[in-house]
Amino acid sequence: MESIIEIQNLSKRFGAGDNQVAALQNVSLSVKPGEIFGIIGLSGAGKSTLVRCINLLENPNEGAVLFHGKDLTSLKEKELRLQRRKISMIFQSFNLLDQRNALDNICFPMELAGVPRKEARKRATELLETVGLPDKASAYPVQLSGGQKQRIAIARALASDPEVLLCDEATSALDPTTTDSILKLLQKINREKGITVIIITHQMSVIEQICHRVAILDAGRVAEIGEVESVFSNPQSEAGRRLVSPESALPVSEEDGPVARIAFNGNASEEPIIASVAMDLGIKVSILGADTRNINGKAFGTMLVSLPENREDKRRVLDYLNDHEGVTAEEVR
Amino acid sequence: MFDVFSDAAKVAQQLQIIASEYSFATWETLYSLLLEVVFAYAIGLPLGVLLVTGEKDGIRPLPGWVMALLNGVINLLRSIPFLILFIIALPLSKLIVGTKVGTPATIAPMVVAAFPLVARMVETSLREVNHGVIEAAQSMGASAWQIVRKVLLPEAVPSLLSGAAITIGTILGYGAMTGIVGGGGLGKLAINYGYYNFKFIVMWAAVIGLIILVQIFQSAGTKLAAVCDKRLRNRS
Ligand SMILES: Nc1ncnc2c1ncn2[C@@H]1O[C@H](COP(=O)(O)OP(=O)(O)OP(=O)(O)O)[C@@H](O)[C@H]1O
Ligand SMILES: [Mg+2]
Repeated sequence: MESIIEIQNLSKRFGAGDNQVAALQNVSLSVKPGEIFGIIGLSGAGKSTLVRCINLLENPNEGAVLFHGKDLTSLKEKELRLQRRKISMIFQSFNLLDQRNALDNICFPMELAGVPRKEARKRATELLETVGLPDKASAYPVQLSGGQKQRIAIARALASDPEVLLCDEATSALDPTTTDSILKLLQKINREKGITVIIITHQMSVIEQICHRVAILDAGRVAEIGEVESVFSNPQSEAGRRLVSPESALPVSEEDGPVARIAFNGNASEEPIIASVAMDLGIKVSILGADTRNINGKAFGTMLVSLPENREDKRRVLDYLNDHEGVTAEEVR
Repeated sequence: MFDVFSDAAKVAQQLQIIASEYSFATWETLYSLLLEVVFAYAIGLPLGVLLVTGEKDGIRPLPGWVMALLNGVINLLRSIPFLILFIIALPLSKLIVGTKVGTPATIAPMVVAAFPLVARMVETSLREVNHGVIEAAQSMGASAWQIVRKVLLPEAVPSLLSGAAITIGTILGYGAMTGIVGGGGLGKLAINYGYYNFKFIVMWAAVIGLIILVQIFQSAGTKLAAVCDKRLRNRS
């Protein structure tokens, strides 16, 4: 499928000389129409810089950002402004206009686009319904909770009838329950309106909950990209492993002997397998650390287990584990 | 001063002056204030906007030398003592209204003294606007002009009003000083009739009038700013 947004060899540096920071280095990725694409990384990885390069709030030093195949970096300012209406954005700090009430905030992008006032108000009222706040039309931002503000911001972002919605840490300022409801709303918008959503976050749970594909950003580079299930169950990059199971990146003490990393990718549950190793093979393995989770009712994640010293036994355990569907095991030490 | 009070005739004479001059002086003070404020904002407001939007990271950066010039001129005008600046700028009045004396003649030099203050006041107010909101507008495809008109200025309204109250107070103060160099209004009453002629009742009456005016404008400004500010929770 043709991609709606394609980032090609994007680099962005801040500052000059010795203080220069390479925020993004040769980043390439493509987002398909209608998907929810996650970008995750630790603080300072360059996530915000990347998302701000997509609508050119930040000008990249090198590289191209293609929207429907058209390079945004080559556009004249006026043309870029028109394209920006098709790529909306929501923010961690909501960024509502404090001096306008909710309805007028939602009208704002339509005002910019010259939509007649009456029509804008009608559409804004519908959008208030969409985001579940029909009774807050005349409330000012100060009278709204964080979650409500983000809903208004989402309604505002939808007002220009965008094709892409960029979310920079849109739930990071919210409590878990509110986060949940906002994610559900984004999911609903994605499903019902077919809007492509790009989500920036440092929270694994956000990606797990709604993203289809994910890119892991590490120190300004893309460490890996893939389906959420495969990346999280079996990360290929060091950065991916650190994110998915922070403890597996920690060195396990030498005394534990050989260690295997078991990845679950959604077809098995972890508990019985370890028990059945002991029952079926008569070999006892112990769990050194685990970071597994349920995604859509399936088990994902990784686990570190100790292996027997004996080479033959070790082989048998690894083979046994790898025979199970949905499980990969490899010796890591 | 007590001698003055002991002399009933002199008191009566001063009250006579107050009765005949006071309301006209007040009127002069008010209409010149109005014109000065209008012109000072007509010049200072756009300059204040440019000071914010034109800087290097602003929404419509201007060449560095333009900004340096703008800042330089504003700082220069702000650093010259008011009365000196007023006298330097008086020839402007000759050019515009054809005379260097009287209330109309004070307006142009007053504006020269006041617009740099207005520009700085406006600049300060606009800088208080949350940068994230500007960025949000940019992400929606707003032009620089749309950002100024629909984001910067409306979001800064409460702060602009507070600034205007301070500006008006300052212009009133400046205006009173022009009494020394041929200006009219309550300042002239206080200085020419009052101070120079030892008519202290007249002087105090004029001063009290000025104090009341400053109080009125300041509290009206503060009140209005609060009423307009939608960030205050306790009203809607
Ligand atoms: N305007 C700027 N000037 C200088 N350096 C910047 C600027 N913006 C970002 N950086 C630097 O670029 C790097 C990436 O920053 P960025 O904000 O994109 O990270 P992030 O992944 O969004 O982090 P977080 O999760 O903390 O928001 C950081 O080292 C940061 O210091
Ligand atoms: Mg960030």
